[in-house]
Parts: sequence; C-alpha cells; structure tokens
Amino acid sequence: MSATAPSRPRSRKATDWWRWSGRIYLVLLLLFTALPMFWMVLTSIKTQFAAMQYPPQWWPAEPTLENYTKLLDPRNSVGHEFLLYFWNSLKVSVLTTILGVFVAVPAAYAFSRFRFPGRTFLFFSVLLRNMFPAVVFLMPLFILMRWLGLVGSHGSLVLTYLTFGLPLSIWLLKGFFDNIPIQLEQAARIDGATRFQAFLLIVMPLSTPGIIATSIFSFIGAWNEYVYALTFLNNKDRLTLPVGIQRYFTEFATDWPGLMAATFLMSVPVVVLFLVLQKYFVKALTEGAVKH
Amino acid sequence: MARVVLENVVKTYGSVRAVNDVSFTVEDGEFVALVGPSGCGKTTTLNLIAGLIPISGGDIHIGDRLVNDLDPKDRDIAMVFQNYALYPNKTVFKNLAFPLQMRKMPKAEIAAKVNEAARVLDIERLLQRKPRELSGGQQQRVALGRALVRDPRAFLMDEPLSNLDAKLRVQMRTELKRFHQELGATVIYVTHDQLEAVTMADKMAVMSGGNLQQYDSPKRVFDHPVNMFVAGFVGSPAMSLIPLQLDNVAGTLSLKSEAGWSLPLSEANAAKARNTSSRNVVLGARHSTVRLHTQAQAGAIPGVTYTVEPTGDVTFVQIDLGGAIVIVSLDPNIEIRADQPVWLEFDQERIHLFDGETERALRAS
Repeated sequence: MSATAPSRPRSRKATDWWRWSGRIYLVLLLLFTALPMFWMVLTSIKTQFAAMQYPPQWWPAEPTLENYTKLLDPRNSVGHEFLLYFWNSLKVSVLTTILGVFVAVPAAYAFSRFRFPGRTFLFFSVLLRNMFPAVVFLMPLFILMRWLGLVGSHGSLVLTYLTFGLPLSIWLLKGFFDNIPIQLEQAARIDGATRFQAFLLIVMPLSTPGIIATSIFSFIGAWNEYVYALTFLNNKDRLTLPVGIQRYFTEFATDWPGLMAATFLMSVPVVVLFLVLQKYFVKALTEGAVKH
Repeated sequence: MARVVLENVVKTYGSVRAVNDVSFTVEDGEFVALVGPSGCGKTTTLNLIAGLIPISGGDIHIGDRLVNDLDPKDRDIAMVFQNYALYPNKTVFKNLAFPLQMRKMPKAEIAAKVNEAARVLDIERLLQRKPRELSGGQQQRVALGRALVRDPRAFLMDEPLSNLDAKLRVQMRTELKRFHQELGATVIYVTHDQLEAVTMADKMAVMSGGNLQQYDSPKRVFDHPVNMFVAGFVGSPAMSLIPLQLDNVAGTLSLKSEAGWSLPLSEANAAKARNTSSRNVVLGARHSTVRLHTQAQAGAIPGVTYTVEPTGDVTFVQIDLGGAIVIVSLDPNIEIRADQPVWLEFDQERIHLFDGETERALRAS
C-alpha cells in the first residue's frame, strides 16, 4: 500500500501530460489542414485590390460576393465556362461512381462467396494497378484510348477512373460481404428467394454503408483527378474542373479572388457528400474492417 | 408434411468424402436427430437435404419428389439455423412475413399467419422490434416462428439450441418436443449433444467420419449399439470399454485381462464370443449395470478407485481395473474415497461385447 500510494499522482500527471500533448498535436494538425481553406474562403470574398495588398489584409475590409456571382452567371464568358466544366466534372464523376458500384459489388461478392480456380491470384492481381504510380500508365492508356477512338471523350476518363477506383472498392466491399453471415442468404433461399433475390433483398441492404463509402472514394478520386484529364481531353468545351480551373488560372493569372471562389465552389460537392453520408462512412470504416 | 428419403447420398470435396453413402428414411411426422461429433458430416447431410450445397451422388426424395437438382426455394422446407440467421435490418414481423412474401401471398393473409405464429410462440409483443433488441431465447423463438409460419414439407434444424444457456436450452427442448407432437411435423434435427437426441427424437442417426453408423430409436441405439463408436458416443457418462483377450480353458470361454483377472462368460455371451475369429474382445459396460462391492466377493473383479465425482443425485466413481478405467454410478449415501480397493461385478445380461479388430458388436447368431 505504502509502496504504491506515492506513485499514483505521478502516473496521473504522466497521463495528463500525454493527453495534453495529444491535444496540442491535434490542434496543430487542424491548423495545418484548415488554414489554407480558411485563407481560400477569405480571399474569395476580397476585391482584386485587397487580395494583392502587402502587408496582407487578414480580414477583408469590404467583403464582396462579386466573384461568386460572376462564376455562377452563365451569361458572361467566365461563368459560362465554369458552369460547363462543373457539369463535365459532375458527369464524369457520377458515371464513374455508378459504374464502379455495378462492377465492384458483383466482383467483391464473387470473391467473398465463391471458390473458383485462380481466386486468390485474381484477388491479388486486382491490386496490381495500385503498385505503380498512376503516371506510369499515362502513355499506354493514351495509346489504348486512341486505338479505341476515345481520346478527347469523357468516356476515356470514366474508363480510366474506374480502373483506378475499383481495387479499393472491391477490397473494401469484400470485407463487408465476408462479415455478413452466409446463413442469412441460406435462410433467404430456403424462405423462397433465388440466389439473386437473396443477394438483392438481404445482402445489399446490409452492405449499404460499404457501398456508400466506396462510392465516396471513387467520386472524390474522379472529381479531383488532373493529369489524365489534362492528357486525354483536347477540346476546350469538354474539360473537367481541375483542368478548367488551371486554364482560368493561366489566362487571368492575377485574379486570385476569382480563382479562390472557383476552387471553393469545386470543393462544395465533396463537402456536401461527406456531410450527408458521414454516418454511413464512419460505420463503414469501423464495422467493415473489424471482424465480429 | 412428408417423408424424406436419402439413398446412398455422397458428398465429396476434392478427394475427401464428407458424406459417404448415407441412406435413411424419415417417415412422415417423425422426429429424427442427426448426431455425431464435430466434422462427422451431420451438418453437411442437412445442407444436402436443404439443397444449400450440390449433391455428389445418390438421391434425396422429399415427399414423392426427387429433389437432387431443385433449388432450396423449390424444396418446400423450412430451416432453423444455429445462429438463427434472422434478417438484422427487418423487424420481427417482417422476418416472419418474408417467406410468405416470397411466395406472393396476399397481404391480409400474411398478417393473419404472422400473428397466429406469434401467438403460438408468445412473441406478439416483439413484432415491431429488430432482432438485435431481443434476448437469445426470443431470437430463437423468432427463428422457429419463421420456420412454422408456412406449412413446409419438413423442418430442418441445425443445432438450434446450442447458443442458449443451459437452463433455457432445457426449457426450449421441452417446447420443441411439444411443438413436434402438436404439429405432427417431420423434423430433421442436427445436434452434437447426444442427450438432446435421446430426449427428443423418435429415431437417431449416429454419424462418424461421414458414415452413418446406426439408425434406430434412441432406446435401441442405447441398448444395442452396433459398434464401439456408437457405444462410446451415446450415453453419459460414456460406456466403459475394456480391451481383453478371449481365453478357452477346457471348453469354457472367459475374458482375460493383462492384469491377471479373468471373467468367465455366461452361455449367451459365450455364444456371441464364438462368432468372432479375433482373440481381442472389448467388454462394454454402462455405469448403471456394474455393481460395486467394498469387500472381496466370489466372481467379482478387484480394482482400485481412481476418482469420486458426486453430482448430488448420484455419485460417479472411476475404478482402475489394472489399466482399464470403468465408471460406476453409486447411491450418493454410500461412503467411498479415492485409492480404495473395491470389487466389481458385471451383469452378464447387460454387458456388451465387441470385436477388438472390427470394433463391431458381437451378436448371438
């Protein structure tokens, strides 16, 4: 008793120290990630003059929404282009996401439930794409797309993004399916469902969090991709946002507030997606990975 | 309800025969227990009947239909799983309604059937709950309810009670038995617990290593096990098996132990022993058929007590007969301690003799 008693306050002090250093670390990390975005928003509501002032004007003296109204007005050329690129990005990303689900779900289900020759080999070769930097595939894919006659089309991007997103989607979803007891499907089949109905009515609803999480991943991947969009697209009207903004940046190199407003608008869909689906996303990361 | 017939059913995985040439008939309305240790092929056999895994050979009939190639949904059977397999995202009501919806029954009729099943199983209050909000016993009832909400040709049950605690298991055992009696249902019940099989089943199919060892009523299996495996598996504590040598002294057959004692065989047992070519014979005795004496007795075999296990109702004593262990049950009021010299008397009418080589029971003719 006398031996342990004095050591207790010291150990409490030690945990306090750890806890506080942890908090400080988190605050630093938060500043590191949030400050640029904060600065982006602040700059986007400044006038051109205020944005270029030195020493910098931390808080805009005359905040303005002019940059946003310009971007969102299809009648002026800047707004027309921005909205077109936004629409292109949305089209490519949504198509990639939907097609990704249609390919990844059956593939992951097959890997999870069926035993077939070459299963392990195939499952690991799915990962092969991720073992090389994406740029390595730039030229081969370009040649392939030219051969397919797809260069310059949004189809070339959708196909490419699919191959980039699928490995993670398949692996994540397989983990999900593995955690759903096979007896549930067996019960459904005995209760009168076909194998496909059992999958559709029992397995799919239970794996919704996983499907949503993988959808978010592939959507973000497609939404932010730059190098392939820059290489494959040659028509100005077909550009996606990351490339489009970059064009806008070079043409109006000095219009920082305009650029920041465009960047902010580009990040809106991803933030909204996260906020709406956050519940499922957390569930997917905690439940899908851990065995019960 | 219907009868279920298995003819020479085989299931192979690669070169492994998980179910090897199994044949038996479950009559209409009969309760049959498939029983055996883990990996004996009992669950595989049940899954073959359900159609959850494809059959490798032989025929399965349910009613008058050959079902070898039918999907589970077309076999018109119901199944209760060990982990209940309740649909976690559906309420109890929807769990019970699912098999009826799949058969495209009108809504009003579904509601009536579900409510009736819920009433029978006393789970009416739970209909709007999700499975995770139920206790183990309640989940078990819902699983049972999903099976009996429609009138299947047969009920298949895969260790339905093994996830319950001991007290609830005994209670549900009684309820299952009554449910079978009232419905006159054909039930095929898989369990590793021989006590469940003995207490509930009309017939039991004892399996080991993918082979059907014996198929008979629990009483016949208990009284006349066909081989040493069945003898050792059915009954608790297990039957004592003592390997001995057959000895012929001037025409009188007796069993000789390496420890030196010998047991002269009665006329009936001698007739059985003459039917084997082997000199190795195994003597089997259930704990209740062996008499224990604390004083030397003519014809009784000397041994030493090894452990004493009082259970309250009855005291089990393990006795070392020079290498072989024999279990004897005693009245708990008899005073006995470990390492005490005792003498055992076998009841010649009720001992079992097995061929030491083939492990099969020796029969008189």
